Amino acid sequence: MNPITREERRWFLRSLAFGLYEYLGAVAPPIPVEGLLKHPPSLYQDDFGVVDMYSTLWDATFARPPNRPGSVFVRIDLPPDERRLALARELLSALITSRHGRAIGLVEFLMPDLKESADYFARHLLAPEPLMEAYRHRGGGEDGVAEAFGLPETSARLRWKESAALL
Amino acid sequence: MSMQALNRLVARSIIDPTVLQSFGAGRIGDVLADLKFSPEMRRSLSSLQAESWCEFAVQAYRIVQAAEEPVVRIQLPSPMEGLLNEGRADQEQVA
Repeated sequence: MNPITREERRWFLRSLAFGLYEYLGAVAPPIPVEGLLKHPPSLYQDDFGVVDMYSTLWDATFARPPNRPGSVFVRIDLPPDERRLALARELLSALITSRHGRAIGLVEFLMPDLKESADYFARHLLAPEPLMEAYRHRGGGEDGVAEAFGLPETSARLRWKESAALL
Repeated sequence: MSMQALNRLVARSIIDPTVLQSFGAGRIGDVLADLKFSPEMRRSLSSLQAESWCEFAVQAYRIVQAAEEPVVRIQLPSPMEGLLNEGRADQEQVA
């Protein structure tokens, strides 16, 4: 098969994020990403979790300790919007390394560009396209995305641009 | 329409193990039948050979995208257009 392009990878990531958004059944932002990690689909019962930790080294990281379920270890003192983004970003690592994720081939597919993929996935999970469309229809603009979706400002602006490019 | 169906299929595959089971068993056509693909597209996608579900998804994306791209037509000017322009030019010169 020809190498996967960035556009193809991004389409795939959007579809994954959309699948989780549909599972959650959220009708308005903010997307409850922490709830998803604490109460995941049965397929990921042993793969998702959240552990608060004191750290100055990182905002969040996913780890799968031996013989224990995987968890996102997140800094306890993060502002809410940064916490949500960090959890959504690490959720991709949880998906990739889960039993189901390995079975569908996510490791080979997404590991080479994990950081870029995780950031993109997080933005699209926290601000799914249908909710972005609804936001635009209500007259929402770029300046209000961060507050409406509970995203950090930089990510919100990026997400707005991505949404405009998908129109 | 096919791209929407494909988006739904990939989205579903992340939370529904039956998609992967069907793919692994060579019965992805059964899953495709539940989605809004044209019969022709369903046949194309059912015949794809891929080593993993992700690879299948990308191959399917390429096929669907190619099918949905608008056909580029060469826009040739009408021969009448040239005659009309010439006529106008003549009139302008006469005037």
